[in-house]
Amino acid sequence: MDLQRIDTQRTYRELLELITTLALPPGEPLNEQLLAGRLNTTVTAVQEALKLLAHDGLVTVTARHGIYVAEANAADLAELSELRLELEGLAARLAAQRATADDLAVLDALCREQEAFARDEPQRLFDLDHRFHQAIAAAAHNRYLAKTLEQFFGLSRRLWFLALPWLGSLPGAVGVHVALVEAIRARDADRAERLMHAHVEGFYAEARAALEEDRS
Amino acid sequence: MTVMKNHEALVLGIDTGGTYTDGVLLEYYSRRVLATHKSLTTRRDFALGIGAVIDAIHIEDPSAVRMVSVSTTLATNAIAEGKGKRVALLLIGYDPELIANFKLGARFATPTYYFVRGGHDVYGREKEPLDLAGLLDTVNRVKGQVDAIAISSYFSPLNPEHENRAYEAVRRVTDLPIVLGNQLSTRLGSVERATTAALNASLLAVLQQFIIAVQRAMERRHIDAPLMVVRGDGTLMSAEFAARTPVETIHSGPAASAIGARFLTRLDDALVVDVGGTTTDFALVNGGQVRVGEEGARVGGYKTAVQAADLLSIAAGGDSHITLSRDNKRLEVGPERVMPLAYLAHEYPEVAQRLHTLSRRSWVQAAPEWLEYWLLLREPDGDSLRNDQERALVALLAEGPQPVPEIVSRLGVLHIAQIGAGELLRQEIIGRAGLTPTDLLHIEGRAGLWDATAAREAWKTFARFQFKEPDELRRQVWERLAENITYAAVSFLSGKQLPPPAHPEDRDMGRWFFGNSLQPAHPHLETEIRLRPHLVGIGAPAGALLQDVAAALHSDLILPKHHEVANAIGAVAGSVMVAEEILVYPHLSLQGVDVLGYFVQTSDGRELFEEEEAALAYARALSQERALGAAIRAGADNPQVIVEDISDGLDTHRIRARAVGNPRLEKP
Repeated sequence: MDLQRIDTQRTYRELLELITTLALPPGEPLNEQLLAGRLNTTVTAVQEALKLLAHDGLVTVTARHGIYVAEANAADLAELSELRLELEGLAARLAAQRATADDLAVLDALCREQEAFARDEPQRLFDLDHRFHQAIAAAAHNRYLAKTLEQFFGLSRRLWFLALPWLGSLPGAVGVHVALVEAIRARDADRAERLMHAHVEGFYAEARAALEEDRS
Repeated sequence: MTVMKNHEALVLGIDTGGTYTDGVLLEYYSRRVLATHKSLTTRRDFALGIGAVIDAIHIEDPSAVRMVSVSTTLATNAIAEGKGKRVALLLIGYDPELIANFKLGARFATPTYYFVRGGHDVYGREKEPLDLAGLLDTVNRVKGQVDAIAISSYFSPLNPEHENRAYEAVRRVTDLPIVLGNQLSTRLGSVERATTAALNASLLAVLQQFIIAVQRAMERRHIDAPLMVVRGDGTLMSAEFAARTPVETIHSGPAASAIGARFLTRLDDALVVDVGGTTTDFALVNGGQVRVGEEGARVGGYKTAVQAADLLSIAAGGDSHITLSRDNKRLEVGPERVMPLAYLAHEYPEVAQRLHTLSRRSWVQAAPEWLEYWLLLREPDGDSLRNDQERALVALLAEGPQPVPEIVSRLGVLHIAQIGAGELLRQEIIGRAGLTPTDLLHIEGRAGLWDATAAREAWKTFARFQFKEPDELRRQVWERLAENITYAAVSFLSGKQLPPPAHPEDRDMGRWFFGNSLQPAHPHLETEIRLRPHLVGIGAPAGALLQDVAAALHSDLILPKHHEVANAIGAVAGSVMVAEEILVYPHLSLQGVDVLGYFVQTSDGRELFEEEEAALAYARALSQERALGAAIRAGADNPQVIVEDISDGLDTHRIRARAVGNPRLEKP
């Protein structure tokens, strides 16, 4: 991203935010000129950013019918969750084996921040959860794993926003994070992997239920 | 229609100052000026002012433009006016007691700085383990109240490990941009490095917005060319590099003006004085080159680690606010900049009407406060207003610009200072207008863009309040400005300052000498200050303001053709330059007695050599290779490299390789 032009960098970040928060909902057609005007940026930047987002799986480029925000459906969700379950579990396992003191300091700081604010701010809670997963991926010290998981975070964040109307808050998540960090600190790879598995599985079960609710 | 030959290349230079935006279209190799344009900078949306210049400047074939280069005093002005973004500065390994005892805290350019345990010593060894937990807690606490984070660790150029570890951790808990001290400078001054990091962080958003605005304007005009930005020493850097290190653009306006002055006059030695709307800047051309400061550049009163043109910038310009001191006895010009009343009256006829009515009132009712207007510059976003007073103020100004006494009365306070407008001003939601030298230029017929009648009437009111003749008061303002500028010029060149007057009849000879040289008063002693090089004036108000200065310095004032857009010309006349620095310092044993080898420290790693010579040779070769590569990538054509070894004392060598070349302007 650092090698991209400045306008492209900013436009990519802004479009990513708009798509994951459903401001640009699944299936929405994307017009480069309109977007450039709306985001106060160059058309070139929008073109480049859309290419990057297509690579992330959040935008679909068709040969003749234009560019659209990618659809989110139950089949995608199933395939995504299958893969993410395994990779996140692996990340937790590797983190338990490789986490440095610095990694643990970050995880502890994130836990402390989580405890500090109110439970009825679901978006903040989710963003923090996202950071948490990113920190564990970093603690695994495998850059390809981290990069792959990063790609999924965008897609899964969007799914969460879709599920939001039907989800309660995520009070359980706080407890899981604390337990995960303890497992990593204790270098218990099996327990870390199990906890993460359950955590991600729980999220996807709720998201699946919500998507089906949405369809009905 | 201009026929382009094969070896011709069109380049577009733009200078976006705090007040005015200038553009010039140049044929690069022949240096022929094809077109120029000047317009007002529109600070709330820079694209408008830049776009106005790009749209209005006559370019027959936009696709023939091979390079666009911009110089800007945006960074300097933002710092001088305190309009950068809020920064949390994390100081690793700094001594809180030392900072407090020597009152160094004020130097950091941000009031929100925090101490973290850690840091290294003068030989690059860890002096204390990094308190990462403490650092992260601090970041979590403050991240909601700041826009960017700067991290500076003690002796980080010798060993950046703590800064790098801090960066990796902090980016996990926040998306705010993070600036590291060691990436900005290899100078060892810890306070300067921290200041530079904080300033850089505060400028990131400002510069990024600016660059994107220029790219948009270029796209609209179908100009598809590389975008360069002028650095503080007058050389050019790519837009992407500038967006990461905006602090390097400070003083780029004056540096560009000096290069533009040299280019236009072909003088090898000149004192260049650039009179802008907000500041007046001084630079020296010596032997054909712009003199560069060996110390870090100073800006807004802060000492940084940025190497820039040696220059002085004073807060006195065409738009400095002309007021009376608190006791209504002394005339004051600046340092604050306001919108000229001539402009306000031109835009808002009702203001012109009020000024007219005011000029007919008796002096009791026409106090100078009636000559200061506040206006709404833009609608605030959403519900960003923080309290009832801000809301009331914005609602009031939405009716139109209001004079200060009206605001005081309608908002039910006793004095304007009771209105907490600082944040609204900072965000440029509201602005201020008042009497300025630009208004005087309108009265004198030397500028004619806006409402001269309104300016004249406002001035009449101002003069009458002081029981003075308008013409006499006008002369006093020019005298005051000329005095300020002359004093600044002498101070700049001599490196000395006058002590403030201790007593109205003080015995200081320096002060007497200076005063007597400007206004000969002594019956028996004639004193004179004589400037050796020529005085070159740049900037639209230069002609009006600098004649007296030149006379006081017994020099000629040279106003080159196109001097109003010399900045813009300087923006394209500079060369592309990249500097790479590498530190070489001894590796000491634990007791600090034996030298075990020599470290070669680059920004991403450290290597150990047994012999000093081998380390130095490696550092020289590596820095040269990196500088060359970076310069080519930055757009330099056939860059030449010079490698210097600057010793900072204490056996530390700074190896600096500078690769310089003209911009590459080949056909795409």
